[in-house]
Amino acid sequence: MDLKVAQRIVGLLLMGFAVTLTLPLAFSLYDRDGLYIEWVDSMLITAALGLMLWYTARGGRDQLRLREAYVVVTGFWFSVSLAGALPFFLTMAPFISFTDAVFESTSGLTTTGATVLSSLDALPRSILFYRHLLQWFGGMGVVLLGIAVLPLLGVGGMALYAAETPGPVKDAKLAPRIGQTARSLWVVYLGLTVLCAGAYWGLGMSGFDAVGHALSTISTGGFSSHDASFDYFQSAAIELAATVFMLASGLNFALHYTAWWRGKPKVFLEDPETKLYFRLFWIVTAFSIFGLIVTSQETPLLAARHALFTVSSVITSTGFTTVNFSLWPGMLPALLIFLSMIGGCGGSTAGGMKCMRFYLIFKQLRWEVVKVIHPTALPAVMISGRKVDNQIVRSVWGFFFVYATVYVIIMLGLLATGLDEVSAFSAVAATINNLGPGLGEVASSFASVSDAGKWLSAFAMVLGRLEIFTILVLLMPEFWRA
Amino acid sequence: MNRRMQRVLGMLLALFSLTMLPPALVDLYYDEGQWPAFVAGFLVVLVVGVVLWWGARHATESLRLRDGFFVTALFWIGLGVAGAVPLLLVEAVHLGVADAIFESFSGLTTTGATVLSGLDSLPHSILYYRQQLQWLGGMGIIVLAVAVLPLLGVGGMSLYKAETPGPVKDNKITPRIAETAKALWIIYLGLTVVCALGYWAAGMTLFDAIGHSYSTVAIGGFSTHDASTGFFDSPLIELIAIVFMFLAGANFTLHFVAWRTRSFGHYLRDPEFRLYAIGLLVTALGVALMLDLMEVYPDPEESFMHGLFMVVSIATTTGFATDDFSAWPGVLPILLLLTSFVGACAYSTGGGMKVIRWLLLYKQARREIVQLIHPRAVLLVKLDGVAIPATVLTAVWGFFSAYLVVFGAIMLMVMATGVDHLTAFSTTAACLNNLGPGLGDAAANYADMNANAKWLLVLAMLFGRLEIFTLLVLFTPTFWRR
Repeated sequence: MDLKVAQRIVGLLLMGFAVTLTLPLAFSLYDRDGLYIEWVDSMLITAALGLMLWYTARGGRDQLRLREAYVVVTGFWFSVSLAGALPFFLTMAPFISFTDAVFESTSGLTTTGATVLSSLDALPRSILFYRHLLQWFGGMGVVLLGIAVLPLLGVGGMALYAAETPGPVKDAKLAPRIGQTARSLWVVYLGLTVLCAGAYWGLGMSGFDAVGHALSTISTGGFSSHDASFDYFQSAAIELAATVFMLASGLNFALHYTAWWRGKPKVFLEDPETKLYFRLFWIVTAFSIFGLIVTSQETPLLAARHALFTVSSVITSTGFTTVNFSLWPGMLPALLIFLSMIGGCGGSTAGGMKCMRFYLIFKQLRWEVVKVIHPTALPAVMISGRKVDNQIVRSVWGFFFVYATVYVIIMLGLLATGLDEVSAFSAVAATINNLGPGLGEVASSFASVSDAGKWLSAFAMVLGRLEIFTILVLLMPEFWRA
Repeated sequence: MNRRMQRVLGMLLALFSLTMLPPALVDLYYDEGQWPAFVAGFLVVLVVGVVLWWGARHATESLRLRDGFFVTALFWIGLGVAGAVPLLLVEAVHLGVADAIFESFSGLTTTGATVLSGLDSLPHSILYYRQQLQWLGGMGIIVLAVAVLPLLGVGGMSLYKAETPGPVKDNKITPRIAETAKALWIIYLGLTVVCALGYWAAGMTLFDAIGHSYSTVAIGGFSTHDASTGFFDSPLIELIAIVFMFLAGANFTLHFVAWRTRSFGHYLRDPEFRLYAIGLLVTALGVALMLDLMEVYPDPEESFMHGLFMVVSIATTTGFATDDFSAWPGVLPILLLLTSFVGACAYSTGGGMKVIRWLLLYKQARREIVQLIHPRAVLLVKLDGVAIPATVLTAVWGFFSAYLVVFGAIMLMVMATGVDHLTAFSTTAACLNNLGPGLGDAAANYADMNANAKWLLVLAMLFGRLEIFTLLVLFTPTFWRR
């Protein structure tokens, strides 16, 4: 395996990342917060690292082979997560440890939204904006990954999207495919962000909050510039706008492209994954409203408001909060944690296992039951009237099993670092599903988790973001032998 | 329920009523005045059985495959309810309907969860009855389905198939079912006798020795003492228990071959047995090491004995205890509880998902990852050099997801009855895996659980014992459509 191509690409991406740091630097200069030297330092160091990686690997082959994509994708997320920690470490020293800086950066870039920081309202705007920005770029990367790269690699049944989804990309070669996707999708991504920011602003947020929160909404990240998250704004209208844009970001961006750019909004109505996504959303929302009213925790109107916002935040794995749902009665907190495992649609910025996989598992399961009754029946999983390739179904089962196993292993690891059972269980969901808030000790912040626990959580975020298999492949001896 | 099912159920109940006479004799021997309850129970169940049989005595045709599922479920539910009758009538314990049913099902499904406390001071007859329920349950699992039901005119193989969906269903051990069943019954009886003698020789009273051998070989876990095996405080007794739990958790057909051929080499050639033995050993050593490092016990030998005993007891889903493992530090309680999801071997009296399924799940998950590296390769999942057919593999995947779905659903419902997260998680796991002891509020016993939760947990025990699908098909419209 020739790793030079991979190294060169990661180097280039790091240099690109360094350029984006000019935005927080601009805030720093404008606000005169005295941090501009640190921002310039971070920029230079990141750029130098990128240059070094690129320079030492210059020359050689141009073509990126399919298998090397695994190294590029994994290398990119790990190296940018580390590089992204640098500004936190420099600007917030001595109040932040290296571990915390890496956690925050990884949480941003993977659009998780779990935080170790507190007193957000008092932080300089350059840092707050940087957090939002990390999520937004992370979100763009996720969309690219989900639409251009993973379907081609066929990770965990994602090959389904290569064949089925009407979208902007048809190319079967990696590099042109990525370029094509990026060109057609950034308009949709940017467009949604602008719309969202406009809506927030029009409904009464300050310009800074509107743009910042729009960046974390469309990326389904969940970072806020206020400790109270969306509760800070005390506005049902803003919450409703957030609900709409969170739900929109949980949809397949390839469908967004077809719907808005090509002018065929009907694609959403025909897409089985979208249908399941909204059905799940309504069921859990109705259930939550019911639960909140029955236990007379809230008035019906308030229950509806909180349930709509919280369920959309959880199903899209955004992680914005208006209420602390870990204090909801009975089964509701656990139900929401389960919902985050299902997550949004493939090709979106949302995390979790994705509705499509859940849909396939559910369908196949029903067939298995039928097969027990009619042993001679030949079951086939159909989506929109077409038979799904056996290989894809198999791959989805494999994904589900590996997801569950990895989930349990990380949970055991967190238990070993001293978290209690409920916190550990939910912390894995919060990180591997890129959700953000958990239950118990990690309901609002990961600040009290041990260093080992934070590293493990950060690893879980990347693992979840890269759909587990992308990283596991690198751990197989077969990968390096071939 | 049609007439041929009614006839079989009637005969089974009449036969089962006889098992209430031994406890009555035990009571007469100890002169504790509880025998009328058992005689009354005998008469009630006998009369119900005879009436059912009489009403359908002319239905001579044998059962069909599709009846098998319903009959299997009916058979366990019918016996479970019948088994609760004496517990309701006995004056020494005042059990409500939910409690009596829970205790009876926990016995017959060899779960071992109890609602009773103060066991040491209960009349011998009740204690004996509970132990005997487990022994009969264990017999039901491996013998009744293959031996008694064919004699009653039930399509034997169809029922055997109904009880074990998954990889083992086509694995016929000998063509003559009744003969095989008889052989397995002799092995079961033989193990029980040797185990009882071992306990007795190691210092138990004869009563305790017989009682505990019942619940050991059945992988049940009921004890006649609140402190369970810890009561005896004897390393020798613990060792004997470990050996017999281990043997009872192994595939009984291996014992059958050993008995037939007087050789033991095939144990080591069996991939499931190898994984079972190595897995138990590695886990036990790991747990013992952690116990020692965290200084839970004063010396390494004690850590080793507790570690080994608890791992074997929990992983085989027996549920005996030498100490309260829910009070162990850090990751240990959850780790132990999770081993019960793996459970014992197929064709044993143990619960859980079974080692063979995990082996296949692991192999296929690995194949899916290697498939990403070699997208065009045709990769087979092999066991012992033989390729496993795709239908068996999908059946195992289906089983895995169905298991998790049922687990999640019951857990959420238990939470909805007001049980806290940890208790709900652990009790659902303990009942679905037919393990017994839980964590949190159910660490000692299930007396404090509310009645609704107990009904749900009874359902979980049944689901686990009937390997999910047998019960699941009854919930599908397809099954009831003709």
